[in-house]
Amino acid sequence: MTGPDAAARPLRWRTRSFVLLGAGLVAAAAGVLARQPALLFLGLPLLVAPLAAVLGGPPRDPRGTLEWRVDGNGPQVDVLGRIELAPPTRPADVEIRFDRPPGLTERAPPRVDRESTAISFSLAWRTGEPVIAPVPSPRLVWCDPLGLVEREVALEAPALAIERYPPELMRLGTVRLERTILLPGETRSHRIGSSGEFYGIRDATPNEPPRRINWPASARAGHLLANEFELDRTGDVLILLDARPSPLGRAIDERLLSLATAAAYGVAEAFLREKARVGLGVFGEFLDIVPLAGGRTQRLRLRGALLAARLTTSPGPPERCAIAVRRQFPPGVTTIVFTPLGDESSDHLLTHLRWRGFPTLVVSPSPLPLQEAARILSDEEELLVARLARLVRRDRLSRVWEHAPVVDWEEYWSLGGLVDLLRRPGRWGRRV
Amino acid sequence: MTSGAGRTGGDLAAIVPLAALALDALALGAIGSLGMLIGPIVAAVGVGLSAGLAGRSRPTVRRYRLAPVLLALGVLAFAAPPGPAPELLAGAGAVALLAWIAADPERPAGGIGRGALGWGLPGLAVGLAWAGTYLLPPSAAPVGVAGGLVAAAVIALAALIRRPDFAEPSPTL
Repeated sequence: MTGPDAAARPLRWRTRSFVLLGAGLVAAAAGVLARQPALLFLGLPLLVAPLAAVLGGPPRDPRGTLEWRVDGNGPQVDVLGRIELAPPTRPADVEIRFDRPPGLTERAPPRVDRESTAISFSLAWRTGEPVIAPVPSPRLVWCDPLGLVEREVALEAPALAIERYPPELMRLGTVRLERTILLPGETRSHRIGSSGEFYGIRDATPNEPPRRINWPASARAGHLLANEFELDRTGDVLILLDARPSPLGRAIDERLLSLATAAAYGVAEAFLREKARVGLGVFGEFLDIVPLAGGRTQRLRLRGALLAARLTTSPGPPERCAIAVRRQFPPGVTTIVFTPLGDESSDHLLTHLRWRGFPTLVVSPSPLPLQEAARILSDEEELLVARLARLVRRDRLSRVWEHAPVVDWEEYWSLGGLVDLLRRPGRWGRRV
Repeated sequence: MTSGAGRTGGDLAAIVPLAALALDALALGAIGSLGMLIGPIVAAVGVGLSAGLAGRSRPTVRRYRLAPVLLALGVLAFAAPPGPAPELLAGAGAVALLAWIAADPERPAGGIGRGALGWGLPGLAVGLAWAGTYLLPPSAAPVGVAGGLVAAAVIALAALIRRPDFAEPSPTL
């Protein structure tokens, strides 16, 4: 909940007050100098009006409580809210101002309905790409009916965030992850085989242990099937965000990081829903981490850390990231790296991670759609530049493929490539 | 991005004070030294320009809507002959202007009623001053001044009662 301090909300004069006071003073002075009483009578109400407005101000600090939520799906974002004002503040005297998170556009003007003690509002926004962003709390200002004085209304508002990510990520939770650390209270059996309740049968992977294969089911199906246990379904995943600047430029880097943040949140939420443990690392100059854990609290922790992720101005060397990851996370944990692959430093980061025992998968938000959006050359030149940029990008991706599988994320509302790669029975994972 | 309630049907409510303001200004212009033609023209131009600016949708234009009418009223009051009627008209014009501001169609309807204190109190001040000037005999002028001071004291007392935070001690560390 947020709410400004009561002492920080004094009654403030508005510009109109100064206009009336100035006009009143000029009229009064001119009346005295020109010995013209009509001017004095003209100036008197103009001088008294601002003082009367102060007398009519709210007797106590105006306060309100906001209840709100985000609706809509995909690119459509609807924010619905209701503000209950504490008496004697009247909704008709309260002006409401809304701020939009960056990157969102307005679909329709805000709708505000004033009732006897409450104000209801609905905001219709659109987002062009996946985003996770906090919704700024509306600013409420009590203002006298003449618009001469104002006072900020203290608003208690719960934090609200817009969470939009590619819908395919909802299917990601069924991916089988490697387990690298024990559950709290868990004691691993030394017997060969899995533990836990039987969950179901799935396609066998090429390196599946023979004891895991369900031979009767495989004989019936005609291909290898393996038993799956409840405990096997939970695993660990580390999400690593590359928050270093690249030669693409700060504006594009920030948008790519925003995209990566949204997708990372989608990935984390999908795995947390399946009781997996998710950790997070944001690498700028140093590595900021959220350790591996599961549950709702971890979801909040991850959301907070992702909302706080910012592009750094002084990038750290890639080896520092790998060393820090090795210190904070157990080797072998499935690692999904979000990086734009803007320069060779990203390749080195993947190499160092692999050397330290982290099976890595790269999701690379492509800068090409963003670069195409900023057209400054002629059509022919633009085509040539776009073609060259595509070739450079393809070359970089092919080089990264030597170290880790890469998902080229060009269609921002779809991450089917990542889901397919992770769910492929042939396993994407490169054992180190 | 900023949003208020938008136009909430307050346009009609704004017509009454605007009409009162126009009539007042026309009367003030007609009895002034500018003559029966120039005075009303100045009044009509001032009020008309202000009304026109208030009707514009661009906020950068609308914010200057008070300037023409204030200027016109100032010119007309300067040119008005001394006497009870011009002085009452000048004061009433300013009060009508305040009522027109309260009836801003950009704000929620009912502004005139809610803002009664904002234009009623200046109206009272004008009434007291005018009555003290013309209705009291010259020998009772100190009574008028005393009455004004008493009225101001009563208003200040009402303010203190209405706003208890004025009397609250400031927080100490």
